[in-house]
Amino acid sequence: MSIPKIVGIEQEYAIKIKGDETLSFFDASCTLVNAYARRLGLRNPEVNMLWDYGHETPYQDIRGELFGKNTGQQIIGEKENRLINAGLPNGARLYTDHAHPEYSTPECLSARDALACDKAGEIVLREGLKLMRDILPSTSVTLYKNNTDQQGHSYGCHENYLMAAHAHEACLVSHPQRALKTLIPFLVTRQIFAGSGKVGDRERENSGPPYQISQRADFMQNLFGLETMYARPLINTRQEHHADPKRFRRLHLILGDANMCEFAGLLKLGSTQLVLQMLEDDFMDCDLTLKDPIEANKQISGDFGCAVELADGRNLTAVQIQREFLAYAQKFRPTDPSSRVPDDDLILSCWSYVLDGLTQLKLSDDMVIEDDPLLLSRRLDWVLKLWIMNRYREGQNCTWGHPLLTVLDLQYHNIDRKEGIFYRTQDQGFTEQFLTDDEIAHFVHAAPDNTRAWFRGKCLEKFAEEIYLMNWEVVGFDQGDVHRMVPLLNPLKGTRGQYQEIFDQSRNARELIMLLESGSVKQ
Amino acid sequence: MTEAQKFKQPIKKKPKKEDAEPTTPGGLSSEKKKKLEVLDEFIEGVLQEAGEEFLDEFKQVEGQ
Repeated sequence: MSIPKIVGIEQEYAIKIKGDETLSFFDASCTLVNAYARRLGLRNPEVNMLWDYGHETPYQDIRGELFGKNTGQQIIGEKENRLINAGLPNGARLYTDHAHPEYSTPECLSARDALACDKAGEIVLREGLKLMRDILPSTSVTLYKNNTDQQGHSYGCHENYLMAAHAHEACLVSHPQRALKTLIPFLVTRQIFAGSGKVGDRERENSGPPYQISQRADFMQNLFGLETMYARPLINTRQEHHADPKRFRRLHLILGDANMCEFAGLLKLGSTQLVLQMLEDDFMDCDLTLKDPIEANKQISGDFGCAVELADGRNLTAVQIQREFLAYAQKFRPTDPSSRVPDDDLILSCWSYVLDGLTQLKLSDDMVIEDDPLLLSRRLDWVLKLWIMNRYREGQNCTWGHPLLTVLDLQYHNIDRKEGIFYRTQDQGFTEQFLTDDEIAHFVHAAPDNTRAWFRGKCLEKFAEEIYLMNWEVVGFDQGDVHRMVPLLNPLKGTRGQYQEIFDQSRNARELIMLLESGSVKQ
Repeated sequence: MTEAQKFKQPIKKKPKKEDAEPTTPGGLSSEKKKKLEVLDEFIEGVLQEAGEEFLDEFKQVEGQ
């Protein structure tokens, strides 16, 4: 039986520093993280919380020991732990990952909330940049929400979806052909609406398409695996579920692009929620196994209208394959009605609209938009970026090889509201917006109230000085003689409805724990 | 009213004139033309300021 599809996004931001050649990406990122955390009072002397890595097992594979890597647990000292991490009262985590600032949204029940939380993350990072200017006044730091530097390096926009343990095990471990028949073809083809677009990689000069729809397709080399920095898989199989593994598993997708367009972001998350729920309920009886999914991923990225070969010999376009999933989703009702994907009617409507739009979208051999009757250039990043590129090419009379087109590509993703090309385009009214400014601003400060993120966020808001450690599945309090851990093993529990009264009654964490132990929690 | 109904639904109908694809300048309102000019000037300014050297300056390290 399917369960609600809680979703979260982890976005790594590209970073550019001007004015200080000695400042490393790592130092700049940590300065940003700490400037923002300090602003929230999370760097006050009495606040000493750690991010708990104890539940992170990136080298263990869900498929068994043979697939794992024996490189040992990452050891990190307390000082560095506090330097790179900030759990936030909005349920998110802001931190330095390797050399990139990364923002992990809180757990969200709906795609709409996840999208709003992702956009709220941009505001958090903009605020961090603003605070950095006071610390490093002669240094200019800019952040880009994209997935490649166009010089052979990639960084992720990872998605996490809650799955029922039995279904996750069946689809990815014991019977992976189930994933190959449905989930993989869906993921490979959803780039036709979820791709962010990019001009050809400079590392592949004179080879490959001049413009492709996915930023990540060139970097994907496997279907399943543990790697994240090379030989990347579509689905990362680390055994790290951040929940009770007997009941829940995390599907960790690392193939997706970062979206700037709200429409594309909503549809990417919402359609994936629906497909996963259908997979859990064993609703899809089709076999759309691709002959070579990794090659198909690249083929479609280079030509969204191309037909890719299925294992059974059929040749279908990405739109045709997506129509199969849409048709199932339109008929689908989850076994448990209470687990229905929020806003499913809206998501289905958008999905249908966009497939109609792609069917009618006409591009010339030189990638000029000849017809876009359903205005996908207002809704999909790759089409919007292509439209902008073509305007520039037309105005400057330049070919696809012009290096400033690559600059344009990168500047599209600048998150600065005044300097970023996407945001200037949006402010001029050339994009479709779903979210209100208030909706996004809400999640800068508040966690979603219908997942465990609310509990974690409330602990940070009220009792930060008493927190010893935290991560996605636990909040640990330092009570002097003893550490008290509050497990959050069920992502669906810990909601405002359950715990608001208890938090209202608690003056400190000790009282909170007493009330929790008294059993007065609403179910 | 359901949550979904509160929000603007994409409607399968011919786009209104003011929403029409802005690559056909003949059909554009003066306001939209102005917006496009502003956008074009902005992009040109961003690219001129960044310059081609931006690409080398932008080089990142591999992400996780």
